[in-house]
Amino acid sequence: MQIPDLDLQQPRSLKEAWTSLEGDASFDWMGGGTDLLCNYKWGINVPQKVISLRQTVELQGGAGTLAAGRTLYEIQQDPILQKDFPALSYAASVIASPLIRRTATLGGNLLLDTRCWHFNQTLEWRRAHGSCLKAEADVCRVLPYPGNLCVAAYSGDMAPVLLAYGANFVLAGPSGERTVPASNFYAEDGIRRYEDKTQEEILLRAELPKEAGNWTVAYQKLRLRKTFDFPEGGVAAAVLWKDGKVVQARLATTAYASVPCLYPEISASLEGGELTEVHIEAAAEALFLAVRPMKNTSMSPAYRKKMARVLCRRALKACTSDY
Amino acid sequence: MNKFVSTVGSRIPLVDAPEKVTGSGVYIEDMKFPHTLFVRMVRSTISHGKVLAVDLTEAEKVSGFVSSLVPGELGTGTRFGVLPISEDETALPAPRVLYSGAIVAAVACETEEAAREAALRVRVEYEELPAILRPKDALKKTEDPLHEGTVNGTNIHKEVDQEFGNVDGAFASAAHVIEKDCIFDGINHGFTEPIGCIAVPEPNERMSVYSATQVPHYLHRALAKVLDEPMHKIRIYKPLVGGGFGGKSDPFPHEMVAALLARKTSRPARVIFDRDEVFLNNHGRHPTEYSLKLAADVDGNLLGLDSRSLIDGGAWGSFGVVTTYYNGILAQGPYRMPTVRYGGRRVYTNKPACGAMRGHGAVNARFNLETALDELAEQLDMDPFNLRFQNALPPNSTTRNHLRITTTGFVECLEKTRARSGWSKKFRQLPSGEGIGLGCGFYISGSALPIHRTKTPQSTVHVKIDGDGGVTIHSMAADIGQGSDTVLAQCVAEAMGVSMKRCRVFAKDTDTAPLDLGSYSSRVTFMAGNAALEAGQNILKKLQAACARLTGLPAGGFCRGPEETYLHKSDATVSVSFMDALTEALANNGALIAKGIYRAPKLGGAFKGSGAGLSPSYSYQAFVAQVSVDEETGHIRVKHVWAAHDCGMALNRTAVEGQIEGSVHMGLGQALTEQMLFTSGGQLINPNLLDYKILSPLDTPYIEAIVVESCDPEGPMGAKECGEGALAPIIPAVANAVYDAVGIRLTEVPMTPERVLKALEKKKKLEARRANS
Repeated sequence: MQIPDLDLQQPRSLKEAWTSLEGDASFDWMGGGTDLLCNYKWGINVPQKVISLRQTVELQGGAGTLAAGRTLYEIQQDPILQKDFPALSYAASVIASPLIRRTATLGGNLLLDTRCWHFNQTLEWRRAHGSCLKAEADVCRVLPYPGNLCVAAYSGDMAPVLLAYGANFVLAGPSGERTVPASNFYAEDGIRRYEDKTQEEILLRAELPKEAGNWTVAYQKLRLRKTFDFPEGGVAAAVLWKDGKVVQARLATTAYASVPCLYPEISASLEGGELTEVHIEAAAEALFLAVRPMKNTSMSPAYRKKMARVLCRRALKACTSDY
Repeated sequence: MNKFVSTVGSRIPLVDAPEKVTGSGVYIEDMKFPHTLFVRMVRSTISHGKVLAVDLTEAEKVSGFVSSLVPGELGTGTRFGVLPISEDETALPAPRVLYSGAIVAAVACETEEAAREAALRVRVEYEELPAILRPKDALKKTEDPLHEGTVNGTNIHKEVDQEFGNVDGAFASAAHVIEKDCIFDGINHGFTEPIGCIAVPEPNERMSVYSATQVPHYLHRALAKVLDEPMHKIRIYKPLVGGGFGGKSDPFPHEMVAALLARKTSRPARVIFDRDEVFLNNHGRHPTEYSLKLAADVDGNLLGLDSRSLIDGGAWGSFGVVTTYYNGILAQGPYRMPTVRYGGRRVYTNKPACGAMRGHGAVNARFNLETALDELAEQLDMDPFNLRFQNALPPNSTTRNHLRITTTGFVECLEKTRARSGWSKKFRQLPSGEGIGLGCGFYISGSALPIHRTKTPQSTVHVKIDGDGGVTIHSMAADIGQGSDTVLAQCVAEAMGVSMKRCRVFAKDTDTAPLDLGSYSSRVTFMAGNAALEAGQNILKKLQAACARLTGLPAGGFCRGPEETYLHKSDATVSVSFMDALTEALANNGALIAKGIYRAPKLGGAFKGSGAGLSPSYSYQAFVAQVSVDEETGHIRVKHVWAAHDCGMALNRTAVEGQIEGSVHMGLGQALTEQMLFTSGGQLINPNLLDYKILSPLDTPYIEAIVVESCDPEGPMGAKECGEGALAPIIPAVANAVYDAVGIRLTEVPMTPERVLKALEKKKKLEARRANS
């Protein structure tokens, strides 16, 4: 495998980053590159220019922060996060492998490209099989109907947990910074991926609401092996407790659609009372009915759907240990 | 201490460890030759069809394009293969492509980048033909079989039907009959170093082919055929090899392509595969449907075995004839089996070819047998260990199908595993979701029958010693990471009574090394080891004669002493140092040279196929796995493995334990996660190491390797194989442990969470139905 010839830029500031674009439309921002470089080797959507943000100061941050440039290893090991937001450290710890976590960044995981069996293949493979919407062709190989959006699976592990904490994302563009709720950030389209993030905009950091530390959050990941694998399903559950009762709850998933999803109706059903097994089972059942995995990863959609129930049950149960 | 100190049984670092751990070792990709051309394959985009035309117009426009090889060119259609009985591979389609991803043409360019670009620009026009993807479709008659010489106009490559004794009678009289139908997905070796080779034209119209291969000799033969040159015009050089496991034990099309392009261009031609190409080359474990019936009397004595296999061979023959036999023959030990019937069918399909892989032919059948025994033990209300003790093959016996059994440490394997695993306090007593299971095994220690029926020894080892005191060992046994160079050094040093540090092993170059059949069928320690031992002993004789000349005492009385000395049996005060003896031996004589050879004894019966499965000795295993099963997700977690293996004698304890641990890890991959998946059109879906799921260290349990030594009288210093047999038992051990944990009998391998969950749901439904009725 060879990485194709790329124009690599390594700006030290945001200003430099935008300058390095030189009006070029064919570019990728890159965090650790652990995902993108593999894609490039396979001839997947190779841009002319790659702008690595590893040395861009505005993306860096110290302990306790959720700066986009921090490595997943740093998030996993951060004592402040471990204490105040353990689900975040945990989610980071179950991503890929130790070596990859030393390089991959939080920002890269949040903006991870969607994945699909028909897409994440070598150029030769895609030529033999027939390419797809997300690469060189205009047909989806999973749901081959006209007008269909791309259904490649969003496979980041950090996003569902940040959604569960009610996080916001801070973006910077040439015309300034803006903050968007993580819940409004992603768009259900495996190609477009974001609601209104422009190509020039860069994710600087995630921010948690002030009261986030009062929430109990747990994350459950489905995968075949205990390392390497992207999630085949993932559920984050968050509960705000008061006097043994659920004040507020959130449920978020990953790998079940082309976006990380929140389920306000299901979580609302948990609010106002105790979190009994009956409540948990009802929520797990509702989530099972709500998720619609596609046949585009290694485990079957039927199994992944069933596992939504188990992951939800386990995540909610983990939250009950805290009241 | 006044005695020779043997290294047998000690912990010896592998002789090539320093170069490997420091990174100075040279693998195929590290080799550079001036003016090398980079070769890139053009691969088929269809599963079956005829190549009508190859259009190079656009490829030739790439800057750096030099040459190409297309179907129809000289040598590209010459049939070759590792087995002379099924030479059905060709370098390029002749004229049919047989699977999606098969090599169709090749380009050679000045740079790798240019070669990749040129290959992408080659346009191939096909006449597409219907693809045969399911083995059962390959059983049907057809007017157009995939290869010549198939069985009765079908796509059956090989059929084996064997029967020993009155099988029907045994089943009719049986008190217990267990039936077991299982399905196994195909798997790939997953070695670390991708396949590669460099063909280098030499002066005098010779050709050197440097290749990451396990079988330099068979490559040598195949190249001679394809290039239509005598073997002496060709030289094979094997650099360090980063793992093989059977996946580098065939001569391959890319090696022929490189050699043909090197000849055509008069320049070195280099091929290094990407990982997906390794998967497409495959030659891994066959997908198999295996059915077995086992009969026993009321006391648990086995009466008969009746089994059938349908083996999906993919596009080519490879080792498939052997696989077909092994699936029946090797399922019979390590038990007394009074009657045996086996029907095996290996078929051609339009998928990457399957071939030999660690535990070749014995793994899938073993699963059926060992899980059937577990069921039988339960029916008999008998401990699974006791069932095995009762039916164990005795030493110095002959099996019903004429395998000669000499030493067996099987009973000791059973005893040790049972004690170490705490079996009697765990079996059927662990909490629900936790379980423990037993799986046993039996494997050849080198195939006694050479692939080519010649009288040439299967292994020859040369030793040369000159005045510097260094011991140079030449062999063509292929160290592929398993440590065979270390075994050769140890055997020679041990025979001569000198330090291994004097030894340097050159097992890489057919121009200088004597013939060895290579690294497959777990033959190297037994066969090349014996040859090395004999070579060392022949050198010792020369040194003994020199000692006699120096001391005036009879040569025969000198034996190996401590610290590289030779002592005389009749006079303890006499001691001659190795260097003094050597100096004397060299005087008026020059460098000492000696050789040792190994030929397997004549074995076996006089029936068709009697040669398959014969080995000068067999290894034995008894493994216990302890697992927990997540009943909500179906995940099996293997927590601890106790793996007892009879290796005859552990020449190097570290290497033996490493082989046992490695085999268990690889077996667990097949047991739990590894599978080659195809689209409905026959295209491999997961040709990469993210989607083809080899177990990570975190998924690997603690493996307690238990070394059992039966001291084989024919093995080198008592040794037999330890590299392959230790794979098969772990898979049924896990399945039996899963039954102990949650009461389900799994019949599909790998036992993925999804399959486990399906079986659990089925069990719950059955239980509910029973409760209702």
